[in-house]
Amino acid sequence: MTAVLTTTAMPPAATAPTALRRALPLLAAPVAFFVAFFAVPMVVVLSSSLAAGGAPSLANYARVLLDQYHWDVLAVTFRIAALTTLAVTLLGYPLAYYLVRVVSSNALRRSCVILLLLPLFTSNIVRSFGWMILLGRNGLVNDTLVGIGLLERPVRFLGTEMGIVIGLVYILLPFIVLAVGNALATVDPTLEEASADLGASPFTTFWTVTFPLCLPGLIAGVIMVFTLAASAYVTPALLSGGKITVFPMLIFQQYSTVFDVHYGGALSITLLVFTLVLVALAGRIGNGGGDRS
Amino acid sequence: MIARVVLRIVAWAVMAYLILPLVVIVGASLTATSYLAFPPQGLTLAWYGRMLADTSYVAAFGTSTALALAATAGAVLLALPAALAIARHDFPGKRTLLSLLMSPLVLPHVVLGAALLQYCAALGLMRSFAALLVGHVVIVTPFVLRSVLPQLTPEQRALEEASADLGAGPFETFLLVVLPQIRGGLTSGAIFAFISSWINVELSIFNTTAELTTIPVKLFNYVQYTIDPVIAAVSSITIAVAAVTIVLLDLTVGLHVLSNRR
Repeated sequence: MTAVLTTTAMPPAATAPTALRRALPLLAAPVAFFVAFFAVPMVVVLSSSLAAGGAPSLANYARVLLDQYHWDVLAVTFRIAALTTLAVTLLGYPLAYYLVRVVSSNALRRSCVILLLLPLFTSNIVRSFGWMILLGRNGLVNDTLVGIGLLERPVRFLGTEMGIVIGLVYILLPFIVLAVGNALATVDPTLEEASADLGASPFTTFWTVTFPLCLPGLIAGVIMVFTLAASAYVTPALLSGGKITVFPMLIFQQYSTVFDVHYGGALSITLLVFTLVLVALAGRIGNGGGDRS
Repeated sequence: MIARVVLRIVAWAVMAYLILPLVVIVGASLTATSYLAFPPQGLTLAWYGRMLADTSYVAAFGTSTALALAATAGAVLLALPAALAIARHDFPGKRTLLSLLMSPLVLPHVVLGAALLQYCAALGLMRSFAALLVGHVVIVTPFVLRSVLPQLTPEQRALEEASADLGAGPFETFLLVVLPQIRGGLTSGAIFAFISSWINVELSIFNTTAELTTIPVKLFNYVQYTIDPVIAAVSSITIAVAAVTIVLLDLTVGLHVLSNRR
């Protein structure tokens, strides 16, 4: 109680140790919880991955990284994640732009936001299940494509990378629309008007004013979508029909059926490192683009 | 002008794509056939009756709801003091702490789930409600933190000082001044936390058993072997829960996303 009292009466310039002493009563519970149930479990995974036969060893990593199979699975995983991110951006950006800049009725925008949140608030499993029905051999997608003559006979979607990408794009689309849309909503429309007044075409205005200003929102959305796509387990598991393996499935197998925490730990850390490195690279490229404009 | 027409068509096509699978699930849950059919052939609510008659579904709905409520309460209790400390004090390591508390947002849930399975096994908590709960608290805390933090502004701080100057105790100030001001952020953060816990599969799947299971995990295990209209009925219920949650969000704090007003 007294600690809270001193915080409200804090002088403007508190020294660092004083600030820490005052923050400590507030921080104790959250820090203790996150250390106990987040940091320590992750360290346990890391240390198990670095042990084999009771001694420190890199054997688990050798087993992961020297096996061509793992590289193939990583390639599939990140190819699916990259394709998903690309498709999500190409579909989500126009929708975000339309909802923020074109739709003038608040009621319509509100309804669209509700429809955008509805899938986001529904489990991956339910949404993937919807696509299992739609993409089946006699599902609505095949029936329609055959019916309008685009296809001669039904094609197989389930059990292909294409099917997984369709499902993941569906799951992750709302994230990018919200990220880009919220960035767009904070761009001052008078900047675009100024650009138009100075003789720029709508396209030039978009490309040189609007797009660079919402780039940070786009990058944040892209990074989120990519990491979620690369670490997705449920959607690939349901839409792959057992025919395609992505990296998170290997992790799940090790912990749920094989119980090999050493090898499983090495797989977990590998996925984590690859994802973080690619995210850092994407952030760098994105920031470079932002500075240039 | 052509660009605008193309934009309109793309936008509406994407909206249709977003809503189609949900319509298909709800439609298929009403079919009178014993296999999944869309468009539904005949209309019946029999599959919902079958679901309610199966106590394991009812139990899983109960577990999911209890877990999501407890995880949300835990997240609020952890995120609120953390947000106050981060907004109010310039202590060393603040950025690192914030990154630690926010990192569950980007960490693969499969990795965290595996880690918690191994760790809780060592603690003797393997595959228990407690093991599920601590994991869910970790993944939903960032949602509350993220939405409360921006509301703890210097202006809000000034009112808090005024309250203290006028003789209010710290508890009174928190309850009567701070809480009403951050209510919006807290509510929307809590709703996002609730729904993220309610729909989670990838974390829960490691610590559930045949008896102790959440509704998404139960659906996941079921769908891999059998697909029938009962599954569509259960899925439709979860879609309804999502819809109710969104309406609650709209009624309490309003849906301010994508709005031009800053």
